[in-house]
Amino acid sequence: MRLPTFTYYQPSTVEEVLAALAGHPGARVLAGGTDLLVNMKHRVELPQTLVGLSNVDGLQGIAREPERTVIGARTTLKQIQQHVDLGADFPALVQAARAVGSYRHQTMGTLAGNLCQNTRCRFFNQSWEWRSVRPLCYKAGGEHCHVMNKDSVCYSTYSGDLAPALLVLDAAVRVEGSGGSREVPLADLYSGDGRSPLALGPAEVVSAVVIPGASANGRSHYEKSSLRGSIDFPIVGAAVFSREGTVRVAFTAVDRRPVRATVLEAELSGRELTEEGIAAAAPLAAKAGRVAKTTIHGVPYKRELMSALFTRAARALL
Amino acid sequence: MNDKKIIEFTINGDAHTLVCASNTTLLEALREKAFLTGTKRGCDLGACGACTVIVDGEAALSCLVLARDADGRAVQTIEGLAADGKLSPLQKAFVDYGAIQCGFCSPGFIMSATALLAEDPNPSQQEIRRRLAGNLCRCTGYQKILEAVDAVVAAGGTNAIREMSTAAGGGR
Repeated sequence: MRLPTFTYYQPSTVEEVLAALAGHPGARVLAGGTDLLVNMKHRVELPQTLVGLSNVDGLQGIAREPERTVIGARTTLKQIQQHVDLGADFPALVQAARAVGSYRHQTMGTLAGNLCQNTRCRFFNQSWEWRSVRPLCYKAGGEHCHVMNKDSVCYSTYSGDLAPALLVLDAAVRVEGSGGSREVPLADLYSGDGRSPLALGPAEVVSAVVIPGASANGRSHYEKSSLRGSIDFPIVGAAVFSREGTVRVAFTAVDRRPVRATVLEAELSGRELTEEGIAAAAPLAAKAGRVAKTTIHGVPYKRELMSALFTRAARALL
Repeated sequence: MNDKKIIEFTINGDAHTLVCASNTTLLEALREKAFLTGTKRGCDLGACGACTVIVDGEAALSCLVLARDADGRAVQTIEGLAADGKLSPLQKAFVDYGAIQCGFCSPGFIMSATALLAEDPNPSQQEIRRRLAGNLCRCTGYQKILEAVDAVVAAGGTNAIREMSTAAGGGR
């Protein structure tokens, strides 16, 4: 499959990136290429302009201070795993980075690229030829969602591994735009809309992820279920964080965005995690998210998996 | 739109100057412009590993690297492993241990294993499997491939196998 044609800019600074994005409607940034280039080969994403980040200064590096840890957007998933003490302080993050794709997806894939990956669906992530036997789906620019057999709505699934880990670690993202730099809670990066899953302006780019120092004093774990031990996206992924009576739980692959399990968290908050408490609260895990059958796995199975993975991840913190 | 640019990079230590459009992948540049067809186009989507090359010392999926992003970098392909006509230790082990049937996945596997052993000459079994998990093989069932990599590790890494006589697995 050849890539479609496009104009390619290779800027050296963040300012140049923003200028290129602003000057070309529909332009997209290119980091590792493991998500966007695949979708372009499938002809479901067709930006006329790509802005490559491989030569841009200032988007890499991991800076650790007592109040916060700042990880550059273009830090690769392998670099996150290799950092000397990130794994001790934020185990869920390193576990999630290790769970992504195959080893090569971790050498090429980046932190922000993984967070900003497009949502997925068995009707969307297919070649042009495969999709041509059906009307174009709503996410790809048509009218109809084949998952739910409805018009004008998209039920795709956000499937990134890092997002739930960073959600329970209370992370924020730094976004650069024409108005300067802003820092928003990670949850606010996601619109919940399947057709345009990111709440980013057209000339904005994520420059870093910020994890508060307080999260380093807790314990965290990421648990992923997938068909194979490598390469595959999660069927469901669960992250749990606990620290002195604060418990945070987040899931991926259960909605159009990564979600916090707020009902489950409310049940567990204020007390230490115990075996009995985890077992009693586990059924509430299935209440999180709006699960849709975007892969071969049915909704009841995924909801059971949510409880099971929460249990496994929470037990790992005991 | 889809403008062509000159890119300069090294392939297996040799300087190459290629004219590439924006949408040329490194895989296409290697195969169709540099005429190095050892690297294979399998799925073209990053899911099979047949296109694995080494860029600046790190394993990469060349089907998902734009040729323009290889500008100024050092690329290693399967063609670059044999020195003075002699197979590299991993190549020889793949032959000796029956790890090659149709051979289509072999360059990708050997490049992945080469990158692994260059970084860690004594990896654990688990780490070998983790690093190779992105390479798919339809013929062998993977057992002989793992035995070949194990043999190179046991013989002390990539330099030792030249002296290693053909062990279990036959060899012709």
